[in-house]
Amino acid sequence: MNTDSAFYSNDDWVPVSEKLISARRLVVVLAAIPVIGIVIALWLIPPVPNLIAWIVGAVGLVSFIWLWWLIGRRVRSYAYCERESDLLVTSGILFRRLVIVPYGRMQLVDVTAGPIDRAFGVTTVQIHTAAATTDAAIPGLVPEIAAAVRDRLAKRGESRAAGL
Amino acid sequence: MITLGSGLTDSQGHRKLSPVSPLLSAASVLPAIIGFAFAISVPSGFNFTQYFPALRPFVAAVLVIGLASLALSILVALFQILGWRAFSFWVDQDGDLRVRSGVLIRNERRVQLSRIQAVDVVQPLIARIFSMAVLVVEVAGQKDSRVTFRFLSLTDATEIRQTLLNLAAGTKTESAETDSPILFRLPSRDLALGLLLRTSTVLLFSATISILIFSYLTEGWAGITFALVTGGVPFLIVIIEFITYYGFTVYDSPDGLRLRYGLLKTENRTVPEGRVQAIDFIEPLLWRRHSWTRVTINIAGVGSSSQGSSGKNKETLLLPVATRSLAETIVFRVLPNIDLTGIDWKVAPNRAVKRSPIQLRNLAMGWGPNSFAARRGRITRHLTVIPHARTQSVHMTQGPWERALNLASLHVDTTPGPVSVVALHLDADEVREALYGQVGRVYQGGGI
Repeated sequence: MNTDSAFYSNDDWVPVSEKLISARRLVVVLAAIPVIGIVIALWLIPPVPNLIAWIVGAVGLVSFIWLWWLIGRRVRSYAYCERESDLLVTSGILFRRLVIVPYGRMQLVDVTAGPIDRAFGVTTVQIHTAAATTDAAIPGLVPEIAAAVRDRLAKRGESRAAGL
Repeated sequence: MITLGSGLTDSQGHRKLSPVSPLLSAASVLPAIIGFAFAISVPSGFNFTQYFPALRPFVAAVLVIGLASLALSILVALFQILGWRAFSFWVDQDGDLRVRSGVLIRNERRVQLSRIQAVDVVQPLIARIFSMAVLVVEVAGQKDSRVTFRFLSLTDATEIRQTLLNLAAGTKTESAETDSPILFRLPSRDLALGLLLRTSTVLLFSATISILIFSYLTEGWAGITFALVTGGVPFLIVIIEFITYYGFTVYDSPDGLRLRYGLLKTENRTVPEGRVQAIDFIEPLLWRRHSWTRVTINIAGVGSSSQGSSGKNKETLLLPVATRSLAETIVFRVLPNIDLTGIDWKVAPNRAVKRSPIQLRNLAMGWGPNSFAARRGRITRHLTVIPHARTQSVHMTQGPWERALNLASLHVDTTPGPVSVVALHLDADEVREALYGQVGRVYQGGGI
């Protein structure tokens, strides 16, 4: 979790689970398999000079390492903070973003988890308002915490219902 | 049972469309049929004179195409008669509108009147000749959300519209609406001039002229086809928009603003009070001498997503061209409490010149007790305003270049539409302060 003063107030920020790092890294590993296959194929096919296989392999390896490192930083940049009357969500390293959603404007709260996320025990809580540009998603919550967050948000949303 | 309009009814007391509608429908497809017949017969070298050897080829061609098209449109009319027989509509015991239609596949739709968004009376050219109209009922919902009644007599359509609006508003009393006061009528000259002076039009026209001059000087006429596109397309757009917004008139009515416009096809649109979410005053460079502005709005339920068709654009346009002061008067009619004067503007710091050298002098944000406003754009200026009570959420963003300059952007999120309220590249600390302040103001500033 980074500590840039422009994006954090003194509230209690909650980082997301580090399991999300493993889940997202697995996706990168899975994506690397076809690349490895291509490199081997390039190596074995006689008319292609081996240099090309080297170049493709090197580019693949560099991007793999870069993504591996980036995922760690990116996941640690996610944090959320439930305040008395609104929810704060922050994300991003290069392009930073801080969303504040008043509870009274929440229309629905989604809890979703794909197969890889489920295998690692993380879920995403997504908050929707009437605006399409809100985009307040908290990925990488442990299912119990996600359910608790969802219920809390729904309850607070109801008590502050206003909106359109 | 509530009676709808004063037209024809069937044995069950259900309303029917006007009996001439099959003929009108057939007549309105006639030009397309003629065009099609022409397009398939003439280029293929069809021998027209084989049917009328005595006539000259041209007369024979007109006669053959005319007769064939007539026969086809009679066929269309026959199908339309079947459709007309199957079509009926009424208000049921629960106070919902029911529409029955379909010859082969019968279909009965139930329209919850409380979900009605707009009831519009539209007059396409062919209908206007016979003083008929099309009634369009817009219902909240994403897909297939409109019911079209093609054709009713104009008075009948107006009556039904009024009844449906009254039912939807929960008031079952009749209220006169014909003599709503006119707030604004756009002179055709201003509309034409405004469309011509738009930045994109002017740029494309000047590109065309420079291509023509260049072609003339170099005698390389290959650029001419390109000039046709750069000159022709904006010309066509100007013509189309002129026809669409011709005679743009704004009426004051109990349910909001009523807009009426169109040369070939009269559109009637209601901008309901209290459904407007955000406003954008757009001022292209060459409009400033007249202090003209174009006003677009976000309306709840009329989302113009990425595929935003031209129809959606029309629904989110409040004024095509008007002077600034008049535009503000009209906007105040649908959003009475917004603050446009006395805003304490927070302008972009001078160092933002490294991020956006052109826009810099018009980048600012500010707020009053009831609304938030943001300015951006230099050549085409935007002034966007959103009431605090309509704010959905707020977010700030900071890219790497902005971070190096200690700048940030503040976005105030509104419902989908053409207006996006964003204060770009302001001092990061000011933005942060405004962000937390703005979310606090969301719950205040009610009463809109």
